[in-house]
Amino acid sequence: MHIGRSLRSKEAPRHVSGRGRFVDDLVLPRMLHACILRSPYAHARILGVQGQAAAALPGVKGVLTPDEVRELSKPFKPGRYASGLRVPIPEYSGAVGKVRYVGEPVAMVAADTRARAEDAIGAIDVDYEVLPASSTIAAASEPTAASIYEELGSNVAWEGHVSYGDVDGAFKRAHSIVRERLTIHRYSSTPLEPFACVVHRTPELLTIWCNSQSPDVIYEAITEALGIDAVRVIVPDVGGGFGQKIHLIRKYAVMTALMAVKTGRPVKWIEDRSEHMMAGGHSCEQEFNVEAAVARDGEVLGIKIQDTDDVGGSISTLTIHFTNKLNNLFNTYKVQHLRLEGRSVLTNKCPVVPNRGIGKPGMCFVWERIMDRIAQELSLDPIAVRRRNLIEVSDFPYTTPNGNIYGSGDYHALLDKVLKNVDYGDVRRRQAESRQKGVVGPLIGIGVVIGVEPGGRNAARDMAIFPQSKQMPGAGGVEGATIKLEKNGSVVFTLGSPSCGQSHETTACQIIADVLGAGPERIALASTFDSARSPWGVSASNSGNNFHLYDVGAVHGAATRLREKVIVLAAHLLQADKSAVQIENGVVSAGDRSMSFAELGKIAYGNQAMLPKGFEGGLEATYYHSHPHADPLMLPDMQGRVRAQYTFSSAAHAAVVEVDRETGRVRVVRYVIVSDNGTLINPSVVDGQIYGSAAHGISVALGEGFVYGQDGQLQTLTLLDYGKSTTLETPHIEIEHFPVPDPFTTLGQKAAGEGAAIPSPAAIASAVEDALRPFGVTVRDLPLTPERVWRMMHGSERVRA
Amino acid sequence: MYPAEFEYFSPRTIDEALALLSTWGEDAKILSGGQSLVPMMKLRIASPRCLIDINRIDSLSGLRVDEGRLVMGALCRHADVAASALVREHLPLMLDAVSQTADVQVRNRGTVAGSLAHADPAGDWPAALLALDTHLTVVSPRGQRTVALETFLVDAYTTDLAVDEIVTEVAVSLPRPPAGGAYVKFEKRAGDFAVASVGVQLTLEGDRCSDVAISLGALGAIPSRASAAEAELRDQPVTDERLDRAADLVREAAQPFEDTRGSVEYKRHLAGVLFTRAFAVAADRARGSRVSTLHL
Repeated sequence: MHIGRSLRSKEAPRHVSGRGRFVDDLVLPRMLHACILRSPYAHARILGVQGQAAAALPGVKGVLTPDEVRELSKPFKPGRYASGLRVPIPEYSGAVGKVRYVGEPVAMVAADTRARAEDAIGAIDVDYEVLPASSTIAAASEPTAASIYEELGSNVAWEGHVSYGDVDGAFKRAHSIVRERLTIHRYSSTPLEPFACVVHRTPELLTIWCNSQSPDVIYEAITEALGIDAVRVIVPDVGGGFGQKIHLIRKYAVMTALMAVKTGRPVKWIEDRSEHMMAGGHSCEQEFNVEAAVARDGEVLGIKIQDTDDVGGSISTLTIHFTNKLNNLFNTYKVQHLRLEGRSVLTNKCPVVPNRGIGKPGMCFVWERIMDRIAQELSLDPIAVRRRNLIEVSDFPYTTPNGNIYGSGDYHALLDKVLKNVDYGDVRRRQAESRQKGVVGPLIGIGVVIGVEPGGRNAARDMAIFPQSKQMPGAGGVEGATIKLEKNGSVVFTLGSPSCGQSHETTACQIIADVLGAGPERIALASTFDSARSPWGVSASNSGNNFHLYDVGAVHGAATRLREKVIVLAAHLLQADKSAVQIENGVVSAGDRSMSFAELGKIAYGNQAMLPKGFEGGLEATYYHSHPHADPLMLPDMQGRVRAQYTFSSAAHAAVVEVDRETGRVRVVRYVIVSDNGTLINPSVVDGQIYGSAAHGISVALGEGFVYGQDGQLQTLTLLDYGKSTTLETPHIEIEHFPVPDPFTTLGQKAAGEGAAIPSPAAIASAVEDALRPFGVTVRDLPLTPERVWRMMHGSERVRA
Repeated sequence: MYPAEFEYFSPRTIDEALALLSTWGEDAKILSGGQSLVPMMKLRIASPRCLIDINRIDSLSGLRVDEGRLVMGALCRHADVAASALVREHLPLMLDAVSQTADVQVRNRGTVAGSLAHADPAGDWPAALLALDTHLTVVSPRGQRTVALETFLVDAYTTDLAVDEIVTEVAVSLPRPPAGGAYVKFEKRAGDFAVASVGVQLTLEGDRCSDVAISLGALGAIPSRASAAEAELRDQPVTDERLDRAADLVREAAQPFEDTRGSVEYKRHLAGVLFTRAFAVAADRARGSRVSTLHL
């Protein structure tokens, strides 16, 4: 068996030895290099753009102005990420008419070198009429605020709600109402490789190499904007995705394609770090007002949440941070009555994009913060309050009031184990000692939280919430895989989705090895994603925590199908009954007769005389997987219930922190996770996902983030200013796996991609608040920078971001 | 991320470098480690028309001891300082500073003299070396002069270097025992510029602080000395009350700006905290303890 083992990574050797192939490694004959002129203003009307002087500079082959973008391309239609948009506002790839955030692309130059393109950018003359900018939800919501989209009238671009159960009834029955105001700030996973595109246009075909997580988005965008049907999207190695490369990247794919069309030459565009920081997409800043109706014993009878999302200066991702909250709307709790009200507010800041969990870290933050608050207000133990509300083992499979079906889990066991692993009692003892009078040294705090991690997207989710939307983006999911036993006996496969560094090749290889009976060293990925060759469906996306459900299902299906073919051929050649054929390590056998895969391959591809009658030559199989348990509620019902996602991993996190009384610095001294990701295919790969996502979530909680001035200027343009934690600030992450197989998936597997990014901000907030208990303060806002913590300890109201 | 076009020269002698500098004047920049200049050029914050790369002038390399002074050539890298046993023994304040400056890559290329000439308000070397007796040797076609660091640093990113001058050496007097020093830096994360930093170099005779220098980094347009706090402590017995008063004076001396690293109020508060902690480490070292660098 290879499933369940930490098989050494198949793709790591080429990456650590510099043999990866990324978009920027691609060099085509006569290729031009493009550079983008970006808006220096947060909000301005574009009165005119003069590109002639730039076009006349040495080496410059093309300048693309907003007028040309308008002439040469069609705008994108609002997609499902903009569900609920009141007026169908068209959006072009580049700014047309107005700029709405600093860094919005205005014009593009292509030259024979990148340096010359950058020189020419400075020679483009743009006449702006600067408009008042709104850099906060509050400012943008003012009736007098300048309209960011005049068509909408107000910057409050969307308002809506979902409601399940009898919320008012629950509040009437309550012993008390616990209220809280919470915020989550703007951040990003800042992938090492920013956006990158190369476009080659011939009369017959437009080929784009792009580091997109969702080639489907690029494919559709090129067709929609340029009216070209013959599109080939190739995704080579990708240096990190995390959601950043799903959506906004299409603007740049289209601009680069327009430049290739205009110049008649291949064009390469590589985004630089500062461009990515200012315009590559941020996570969504969210404000919550929460009211929980609770019984005396801490049972949550009902909850009302108002969620205001700062979506930045674009309508293209208007509601994704709201709709994604449907995925973990009830977290691990069996609460039956819930109302979630949403508002999406436009601001003159970078547009928001999916980022590792999208709205889910915010939703988990709401639940876990309110659990702590309930414990404080009712003088109960915070763990006990959580336990009072957990879905019990006997409840699985459990259907949440909004239609999600949790296949399996044991949330009490996760808490038991995390408390044991972190030595909860011992931490509490040391904490009590440290709070003795006269004791100096750091303040000790511990936070314990729990969260679900949804996986496997249902494409109809957003539709369900906005039935007025006419465009059906799809439903459920479809994803393919192809496996081929080559003439020489080796096995190659193609996946329907790109990889951003999550060891998809290794994981897929283990499944193929077990199902097909081949040695993993003889199995390899034939090619990274290529829309002309890869079997792909609507789920062909390195997003939505999809791999474990759709790709694993497809690989398993294709391997099963190929195995059947191999057995038919082998039974014929070995003159045995099919049931007698065994396959192991690339050798088929029946009794004392055996043949290697290579011998089978020679016959399958070259010797018709030896094939069974009616046998299709070759040994190749393709399988498209759809989740067989996608119903019920794949399509929404009249109550707004829908399966937002299909699998639900879960984890308990415990953070122990020490706070420096004088500087406010928080040091995470222990970080312990107990995680249920279902059947583990490769534990080490799952560990990698947990390490990375926990490190990011902790950094988000403690310091990283985008900071804007009131004028809408971004003050954190470099990674240095942005403040992401390094390995020196990141604690050792201690992981225990507690897999409870999912009853509905191919191998019992659940998701692992978003992982610890969802609960970790809440865990840190809880621990810091616990450490600061002697000061009687409440943690409502992130990040917990030293200055913010210092101010909390010293009672200052004025807390800067 | 490409710089604007520029001419590049790689002279082998100081005279050649000075000749080039005379020719190009304001349009030229001296390239030593390039760890600040090159990123600025890539971001096009700086677009010099000419770079004079002094890395091939062998006489500017390394560090040596000369008449009770540590003498660092203009090409002495941060890593050279970090590797120096002499620095470890006599100038632990410098070791504190260098071990917290940026990352390994920067420390392998960046130079002490370059850092001083760049005069970043939050740079570690200007702040750290201001607590020591530091002089720079500067040459031009007009001859050679020596200038104290305090005079050399004029304003943010501004020094008293004339257009035709090059820094050739930085010299730091070796403190006479029983001396101790410490540089304490508060940074958002490892390798970042300081939110605030404080250097303390002192001489302890019994319980009496016979001499003390206190330098402040990232707490004003340019690193400065907290002279009033120094006066409070100099030639006095060290007591908690006196240290508290000195910390107040350090806070008063701090003139920080608000930026993404912190508010004026917080940075001023930090100045006092960092001073107290730096003083404690410096005093322990003066008493002969081997105290490792404080990482906050």
